[in-house]
Amino acid sequence: MSIRTRQISLDTWTVVLALALALLVRTGLLKSVPW
Amino acid sequence: MGPAATLTDAQAERGLVRLARLAPGMALLIGVGAAGKLLEALTDRVAGAHGVRLPHGEYILWAILLGMAISNSVGVPAVARAGVATYEFWLKLGIVLLGAEFLIGDMLHLGGIALVLVAIEIVFSLAFMTMLGRGFGLRPKLVSLLAIGSSVCGVSAILATCGVIGADDEDTSYAIAAILALGAMSLVLFPAIGHALHMSDRAYGLWTGLAVDNTAEATAAGAIYSDAAGRVAVLAKTCRNSMLGFVVLGYALYWGSRGQAQVVTNKAQFLWRKFPKFVLGFLLLSALASVGVFSPAQRDSIRNLSRWAFLLAFAGVGFRTNLRELGRQGARPFVVGTLGEIAIALITLGLVGLAVRVGSL
Repeated sequence: MSIRTRQISLDTWTVVLALALALLVRTGLLKSVPW
Repeated sequence: MGPAATLTDAQAERGLVRLARLAPGMALLIGVGAAGKLLEALTDRVAGAHGVRLPHGEYILWAILLGMAISNSVGVPAVARAGVATYEFWLKLGIVLLGAEFLIGDMLHLGGIALVLVAIEIVFSLAFMTMLGRGFGLRPKLVSLLAIGSSVCGVSAILATCGVIGADDEDTSYAIAAILALGAMSLVLFPAIGHALHMSDRAYGLWTGLAVDNTAEATAAGAIYSDAAGRVAVLAKTCRNSMLGFVVLGYALYWGSRGQAQVVTNKAQFLWRKFPKFVLGFLLLSALASVGVFSPAQRDSIRNLSRWAFLLAFAGVGFRTNLRELGRQGARPFVVGTLGEIAIALITLGLVGLAVRVGSL
């Protein structure tokens, strides 16, 4: 059985990661990010 | 079974191998970025001991310079090349995260007059820099980067745009270098001119926010004058920054339509395919922040995450900068940048003077 995979683009990964990070900050799991 | 969203063992293994391949280069990016931050702290300490106030954000310059020094001397090791190339990923991540910093509501605090001035400034800057760049025969994408950098928010705008329009690394480095050099000069020149003209805090702050490109330099140039001027500068600059998404969107559409030599039957589909999806992420974060999803402290944290992502991108930009190529380009980008910035500073000074005269400030 051949499985057709769908490639996730770099842009999509950046958006997903950014939203995940923002969610971590929003939920308080990432309390404070120093600079 | 439809398109697979499940992860097979083989795919997971390939993913791990790929990550392992990227690790050395990513470590190099992190190392150079951290060294840039360290050098900034050291130079600040030395300068502070001598009573000298340095501009914020020189870590950007350090990271780029260190990356350039390595790549133009010993070169990037073969084992690190793939990881160094991830800088574009960090760049886009930084841009999406930066979306949370741009609130539509922030613009309203400045009132109608500031919005009008910002709109005039952006239109004038884009048009003038484009005309100037073309007149000097610069490459079209470098012209776009200089125009966006000088009209909206400096390095952030250049970084937000270079991925969208597919500008090469030399053009990006040139535009960033020109904007940073001019930004550093503004820290000395703007307060001197403001004092010479006996400008009020509000007028000076508004002028700085309208004319200085990088947010850090605009804030610093305002604060050097006075705390009140610094606050107005930040507000005016935020107003300009909030336009970033729209300007990037416009340039994305412009270059998207220009890149098609052949006849395109479905223009909307073509534009959608070409359209950089991370811009949507940027707009999404901006929308979430605008409706109050994040507290001010949380937005600070997201902004710092963006800064860390940009730090890796800056290091990567340095690694990818070829000095021989830059030498071939000559001093024209700096001349164009300087002439353009002088014109923008004069125009915005005139606009602020007009606002003062009609009693709006």
